[in-house]
Amino acid sequence: MASQLAREWLGIQQFPAATQSKLHELLGKLKQENVSTLTILVMGKGGVGKSSTVNSILGERVAAVSAFQSEGLRPMMCSRTRAGFTLNIIDTPGLVEGGYVNEQALEIIKRFLLNKTIDVLLYVDRLDAYRVDSLDKQVIKAITDTFGKRIWWRALVVLTHAQLSPPDGLNYNDFFAKRSEALLKYIRLGANIKKQALQESVTPVVLVENSGRCKTNENGEKILPDGTPWIPNLVEVLTVVIANGSKPITVDQKLIDGPNPNARGKLFIPLLLAFQYFFVVKPIQKAIKQDMAKESKPLWELRDVGLANRNF
Amino acid sequence: MAFCGQRLSLGAQIPLSGSARDRRSASAAASASAPIPGHHLKCVLSSAKIPSPKFPTTWTRKKTLATFFSSALASAAGGGFLLHLSTPVPPPGNTGGGGGGGGWGWGGFGGGEGGGFWSQIFAPLAAIAREEDPAGGGGPEWDVHGLPANIIVQLSKLSGFKRYKISEILFFDRRRGTAVAGTEDSFFEMISLHPGGVYTKAQLQKELENLASCGMFEKVDLEGKTKPDGTLALTASFTESTWQSADAFRCINVGLMPQTKQMDMDADMTDREKLEYFRKQEKDYRRRIDRSRPCLLPMPVHREVLQMLREHGRVSARLLQRIRDRVQKWYHDEGYACAQVVNFGNLNTKEVVCEVVEGDITQLVIQFQDKLGNVCEGNTQLAVVRRELPKQLRPGHVFNIEAGKQALRNINSLALFSNIEVNPRPDEKNEGAIIVEIKLKELEQQSAEVSTEWSIVPGRQGRPTLASIQPGGTVSFEHRNIKGLNRSILGSVTSSNLLNPQDDLSFKLEYVHPYVDGVYNPRNRTFRASCFNSRKLSPVFTGGPGVDEVPPVWIDRVGFKANITEAFTRQSKFSYGLVMEEITTRDETSSICTHGARVLPIGGLSMDGPPTTLSGTGIDRMAFAQANITRDNTKFVNGAVVGERDVFQLDQGLGIGSKFPFFNRHQLTLTRFVPLKQVEEAAGKPPPPVLVLHGHYGGCVGDLPSYDAFTLGGPYSVRGYNMGELGACRNILELAAELRIPVRNTHIYAFAEHGNDLGSSKDVKGNPTEFFRRAGHGSSYGVGVKLGLVRAEYAVDHNAGTGAIFFRFGERF
Repeated sequence: MASQLAREWLGIQQFPAATQSKLHELLGKLKQENVSTLTILVMGKGGVGKSSTVNSILGERVAAVSAFQSEGLRPMMCSRTRAGFTLNIIDTPGLVEGGYVNEQALEIIKRFLLNKTIDVLLYVDRLDAYRVDSLDKQVIKAITDTFGKRIWWRALVVLTHAQLSPPDGLNYNDFFAKRSEALLKYIRLGANIKKQALQESVTPVVLVENSGRCKTNENGEKILPDGTPWIPNLVEVLTVVIANGSKPITVDQKLIDGPNPNARGKLFIPLLLAFQYFFVVKPIQKAIKQDMAKESKPLWELRDVGLANRNF
Repeated sequence: MAFCGQRLSLGAQIPLSGSARDRRSASAAASASAPIPGHHLKCVLSSAKIPSPKFPTTWTRKKTLATFFSSALASAAGGGFLLHLSTPVPPPGNTGGGGGGGGWGWGGFGGGEGGGFWSQIFAPLAAIAREEDPAGGGGPEWDVHGLPANIIVQLSKLSGFKRYKISEILFFDRRRGTAVAGTEDSFFEMISLHPGGVYTKAQLQKELENLASCGMFEKVDLEGKTKPDGTLALTASFTESTWQSADAFRCINVGLMPQTKQMDMDADMTDREKLEYFRKQEKDYRRRIDRSRPCLLPMPVHREVLQMLREHGRVSARLLQRIRDRVQKWYHDEGYACAQVVNFGNLNTKEVVCEVVEGDITQLVIQFQDKLGNVCEGNTQLAVVRRELPKQLRPGHVFNIEAGKQALRNINSLALFSNIEVNPRPDEKNEGAIIVEIKLKELEQQSAEVSTEWSIVPGRQGRPTLASIQPGGTVSFEHRNIKGLNRSILGSVTSSNLLNPQDDLSFKLEYVHPYVDGVYNPRNRTFRASCFNSRKLSPVFTGGPGVDEVPPVWIDRVGFKANITEAFTRQSKFSYGLVMEEITTRDETSSICTHGARVLPIGGLSMDGPPTTLSGTGIDRMAFAQANITRDNTKFVNGAVVGERDVFQLDQGLGIGSKFPFFNRHQLTLTRFVPLKQVEEAAGKPPPPVLVLHGHYGGCVGDLPSYDAFTLGGPYSVRGYNMGELGACRNILELAAELRIPVRNTHIYAFAEHGNDLGSSKDVKGNPTEFFRRAGHGSSYGVGVKLGLVRAEYAVDHNAGTGAIFFRFGERF
């Protein structure tokens, strides 16, 4: 990280003028709120277009992208400055391998993020993946376990491959609503967030189209099927999320290690010990004494101690 | 009556052959069991036929008495008194006459007039007498009577030189004028002749004398009736002794009391003198009754006897015999093997007094024997043996065979003796008293043993390969019974590969010090200290279903342990102590490993699994306190376990060791064996169906290294899964129910079990449950059958829904 000095954001100049002005406006707004650094963490399953999204946002080819194999095995941070504003985007390797969450990758990400502050999480998935399954839940759970529930108040769901024709009989907006609703449901499940809690601040869903064949409007801005230029839209939603009052997440050793279960309740051990002695050991001892008293003695023994009274 | 115990390697069980039954069968049992020579007999508890018959001094015909007893003793020596011997048959035609003195000696006292004093002698020998008969009769050779057929011949008219064959014996009751029907009558027990035997005139006369003197008859006569085939039909015509009817019954214990001395009644006493004599006698007897102790005979039997008296009207000899049998039967059934009815007194009054010698113990002798059976000085301190004896064997108590058996079992459980005998023996100095003799043969104090074995260990893919067949062996030594206080040191070194013993060497050195509070203190605490090592495969590092083989992690423990165990009952105990150990975790190649590993789909190993140790270095050292309290009142009801068992175990870390481990790891196990039917407890009766309910809770607060985590799954956790297949967690809850239904002499069972980590898997560092993709909880159900020691069961794994057949040793609960 130290080796990667923040460079001037040159890629912004390649954006169409409308986009540039919009971005400048948004960045200026952020600056007004005393935000001069923005760190974006991009996470998601493999092959959903994380790196492409990063490239698209920056307007530079910072992350190697390949259609057929995963390129990023290590997390990578790109820092760009523009007019006193620093934008950090952290691209991460895919979290899934062999049908399971890749803990190793997660571990590497955690170590990479040590001592960094995350302002926004971009959870990336594809719009054209029709179904959500338990793997999504696992991935979301893994992210939650790593950064805590709070991350979802600082998160955006990014759906790539926005330019698609939905399956038969559905119009685009319905499909988008269904897909995002299903995904959000799994986020709630995976992150174990109560429904009401999430409703207060719904994790926004943003559409993205990284393909070069993406339609453009008259200003040359890449637009979504509904006509909105998506890069300014994305940055706008970002600023909204930042402004929603939740705190950025600082990754420190404690967060990485998780709560130490070995330390929990240690202070109560003497109390617990006393409890065990008085409420477990003592009753068992008492029960043993009762057993001994109740033990059915053979008749000859009873006669011997004079308990028979000639009755048996 | 000798019963012999074979010490089985399992201990505890001491089969007993023969017990106190009535005397005839008892002596038969003795002769049957005694001659088994060189058998692996460990314990012989024999109760000799003790109270030597009371020789009635009320006897008027002294001469008869003398001869009678010589014969009684002669045959008694054969079978009844000394039970260890086989039964040497007395030489035929001995002084006892036909059959060596015959079964029952009833020392009779001229019934009607004599002041109601009636003695009887029990010589036990009916069975033996019978055995002897063929020999005593001199084989098949006999002489024809040589008289006309069908005439009645008086005994005196018979020839003294001929051997007569008796083809038939009849009893003829003169008073009733009928023959006694049935051979089961008590009369037939009394006569030692039996049909088909060959006897001389002298023998027949002897028999007549015996009958006349036995006290059952006022008058008795023997007549022969000649038969056409040259044999004789013998008829004993008699008048039974009877006394006036009684409506009260009293049973007194006259053990340890001196025998009443009775003066002979002079024939030429005046009436006044006679009257005075009777009065004195009566007074004496009253005093005797007063001085006697109450006896153990319970009211129900008492009432039964009263009923007999009431039904019968006049008290007859036969009735008294039946009463005697009834009373004695009760005593013997209850295990009072030495109890004897010795006398009936107070006849011809309203009350029948039954005098019993119950077999009071006057002395307890403990003897040690050397290898040859000679008495020697033992190394064991007597107090060690004495504290194992039930107090019912001490002087002042009545000898009971069950107390003897218990003593035998208790002493046996000391495991100090190769041979134990508990022997009641009549006290010569004190009539009716018993000396309990305990004879012990000590085991060698020191022993050393070397054993070797070949084991085939599974190689790749679980198949044994030739290269992996290794010679293994054990060297052990033992020093038992140090200072005679049952302290012992034992050590053993085992290696499964003698060619390379440093690879896998396990050792154990243990010192056991019983009676911490002193041998005389009833508190039973034992101190144990041991050095140990062990190597176990950790079930924490086990894959869930569908996970490729997880590289195993071995947990090596080396340490020192000291604890004190207090035994409350045979099964319930409380132990507490200190453990210091070093734990090393190793991988397959025996090199120290710090983290669990998992095979990645691409084939590589992911080495970032859960840490194996608390310190993270692969080696932990720690000291902690350990306590365990077990409450167990289970018992066998016709072979089925019934009762309750609660175990609480606690490991309390003391903050001593690597990373200063401070923890409280606790486990509570509750098991209930509920019989679903009331059944009678007796040998051969079917056991009840039993419902077993089992709950196990474990938890840990504080530092928890992975090797101490609770694991779910396995034959002792949730059946149907492999060891640790369900997870490794901080808190654990297992519930199980099993229904056992007896079938023939075994049982079948159905079970359902559930294990749950209570969501605590994530609280184990590195979350091994999730790392190895385990479920963290699981249920199973199935059925099984017990085949001897092996359980064969079909268990369905509820997570996967598949079933499998398992074979397991031992019990689940």
